[in-house]
Amino acid sequence: MTRRLVLAAAIIMLAAVQLPAPRASAAGDPAAMVQSLGNQTLTVLRRDVPPAERLARFRVLFHRYFDVPGIARFVLGRYWLSASPRQREQFVNLFDEYITAAYSDRLSKYGGETLRVTGSRPGPDGALVASEIVRPSGAPSIKVDWRITNEGGKPRISDVIVDGVSLAVTQRSEFASVIQRDGGQVSGLMQLMREKTASSAGSGE
Amino acid sequence: MQEQPMRRRARPVALREALVALALLLAGCASQPAKPGQVGEFDDPFENTNRGIFRFNLAVDHHVLMPVAKAYRAVFPEPARDSIHAFFRNLRGPIIFVNDVLQGEPHYAGDTLVRFLLNSTIGLGGLVDVAGRIGVPYHPQDFGITFGVWGIQSGPYLVVPILGPSDPRDLTGDIAEDFGDPWNQLASDNGFLYLTFVRGVVSGIDQRSRYLDTLADLERTSLDYYATLRSIYFQRRAALIRHEKTTLPHPGLTLEAPLPMAEANPRPASGVISEADNDSEVHIK
Repeated sequence: MTRRLVLAAAIIMLAAVQLPAPRASAAGDPAAMVQSLGNQTLTVLRRDVPPAERLARFRVLFHRYFDVPGIARFVLGRYWLSASPRQREQFVNLFDEYITAAYSDRLSKYGGETLRVTGSRPGPDGALVASEIVRPSGAPSIKVDWRITNEGGKPRISDVIVDGVSLAVTQRSEFASVIQRDGGQVSGLMQLMREKTASSAGSGE
Repeated sequence: MQEQPMRRRARPVALREALVALALLLAGCASQPAKPGQVGEFDDPFENTNRGIFRFNLAVDHHVLMPVAKAYRAVFPEPARDSIHAFFRNLRGPIIFVNDVLQGEPHYAGDTLVRFLLNSTIGLGGLVDVAGRIGVPYHPQDFGITFGVWGIQSGPYLVVPILGPSDPRDLTGDIAEDFGDPWNQLASDNGFLYLTFVRGVVSGIDQRSRYLDTLADLERTSLDYYATLRSIYFQRRAALIRHEKTTLPHPGLTLEAPLPMAEANPRPASGVISEADNDSEVHIK
């Protein structure tokens, strides 16, 4: 009897030690992370927030929740492999600037929507979180999937898929087109990104 | 007044067929096989011609379609625009039903039937989406999607004058819809051919007005708007063919491995799409 109790206790202790490891810890739960990001994005990026403030807030969220270097590598595609270390570093910084400017702009028109996480499952190298953006007008909700990778034990968003359209794939496709039309040079793309970022920061619209 | 049986089917499709013929002709003129290493992520051998037509379409969009769509949005309040939108959707009910059946989707077909019957009657001829409110949702459907479900590849990207992004598969689907649409036939049979054009124009304005902000934002922030729309078009069509039950597999987040858009692959576009049924597919629903 005592031995069985000891055994049971030992098993429970082992389980307690081992179980949380394969699962993500509660703090790193991908679904909770997406819900939290959704809540913050849709309240912080309201129409009445001035553009400069919106950009700053969006940048904070982008850095906190997204795998920025990983996405930058992905969207440069095969040109990442041929870029020099200095070019790569420059590109990651430019990409960061460009995306925060572009998306704080693109998201500025939205207001009153709520994001609802509808499911989550383990993916190839992290997790996939399904959600929908519910619109106040009663218009059909927008299906948004979030691809999560683990970066140093922390979940980070690596792609957002809106109604079946991957933003990372779209961005990579656009960048590849710009580079190809410029004779395979990454420098032309980077120049264009600088100009676009500067003009969108200036216009504030 | 009197019907003209000989011409009854010819007229409604004339405009679109002419545009298609023009697009194919232009595409043919410019047809140059893309050099290996110049291959983009999507199948676009007629890119130069497509970009030309795209510039033309953008000019038309900026000077005609957008101002008209903005005026439409300014004149009609949102409930009125929603009703007009619901009405045009409901008109496509029979076409959607046929495609549901052709794809072997009884659940979708049932939804479509219930929607059409309810909305056409209680919904005042389609003006009110009664079915949607009681939980029978609309789903997008057309012949291009059916062809895709049957396994037919999209073919190269085409930008059609006025109509915009397409490909041979979807363009063929559009023509099939023009032929198969019962309302267009009914109208032309009874001497109201102009109604089919009115429908085309007003539903075009309806569609454009719903994407005014989205497309303007995208155009303003894009580095290459043409390439962005091309990518979105192919991805969206692939998602519709999968009926959005799955999510596109991520083509290689670990960049140590060569990307699917490797130079050796002559048709990288279909590669991305057909990968939807390999192991990395993730079922969301």
